[in-house]
Amino acid sequence: MAGISNAIYQSLFRKNAVYLTAIFASAFAFELSFDTASNKVWDSWNAGRQWKDIKPRYLVKDEEEDDD
Amino acid sequence: MTVPVIPIASESSGSNFIPASSTPYLRSPRNAAVTPSSLQWSIANTMSLSSASSTLLRSCARQQLPTARAAVTSCQQRRGVSDAKASFDSPFVNAGERGSTVKIPNFSKYKSNSSPRTNQVFSYFMAGTMGLASAVGAKATVQDFLVNMSASADVLAQAKVEIALGAIPEGKNVIIKWRGKPVFIRHRTQGEIDEAREVKWESLRDPQTDEDRVQRPEWLVMLGVCTHLGCVPIGEAGDYGGWFCPCHGSHYDISGRIRRGPAPLNLEVPQYQFPEDEVLVIG
Repeated sequence: MAGISNAIYQSLFRKNAVYLTAIFASAFAFELSFDTASNKVWDSWNAGRQWKDIKPRYLVKDEEEDDD
Repeated sequence: MTVPVIPIASESSGSNFIPASSTPYLRSPRNAAVTPSSLQWSIANTMSLSSASSTLLRSCARQQLPTARAAVTSCQQRRGVSDAKASFDSPFVNAGERGSTVKIPNFSKYKSNSSPRTNQVFSYFMAGTMGLASAVGAKATVQDFLVNMSASADVLAQAKVEIALGAIPEGKNVIIKWRGKPVFIRHRTQGEIDEAREVKWESLRDPQTDEDRVQRPEWLVMLGVCTHLGCVPIGEAGDYGGWFCPCHGSHYDISGRIRRGPAPLNLEVPQYQFPEDEVLVIG
């Protein structure tokens, strides 16, 4: 346990530049993953109710009207 | 001659005695701080004021000091006795052990079992997580404000104009309205394209090549607002076969560049694109 924490300390926290870079890089990654995950949750929650779900029906109808 | 000194001594001893006998727990620290040294200071102050009877006063002070000191020590002894009787167990005075004046609390219950480096890594990790969360939050806040300031979807939908180019024959001008301003679209002939490209553009007032002003050489798209004072130039007029502004006589050539007159710049080219072969979208 002490060896692992020592390795983490030496690699990540010892230099402030590395520490800050790691913070901002992980913030970027966290935001990306958080947005993707929350969008997926939203889409699954509202499945069948959004425009992109019902778009084919109306577009097919439009084309039929255009054909008419 | 001892009369002016006696009230000082009796007053200070009285103020020490009265609270000590009546309320031993509510004694204020100001009364407890009255020591013989402060008495000596007040006496010395009096001595400097009346230096004439300094010898007498000094002798009186030496006579009065033992009584005051006795009063203070007796009061301190009384306080110690009353504290020992109280049920409150002070952490700083160990009454049970003789010679021990300080009792250090036992903190071993709160001591961490892991190594110092592990604790360090944990606290750095928590601080870094805090920084991560605040960075994401700050970015989201700034982005929300910027998105709020940018144009909304309905404005953007109105801000684009789509034109079918098949209806415009070669060698003809079309003026359309885009964001409240006229836009000139000219379907140029091959001769006009050659004419626009043969001009020595380096010596013009606003030097710009014809290739920079058009995406497709046969379609010239530009804002129909004179760069001088904002009039709308007239098409297929002027000395250079392009546009002519009737307000102050600016002449533009077939590429919309200023050639003569007061206007300082060429006619502005808006953002446009050709999503399909015969469709032009401005905006």
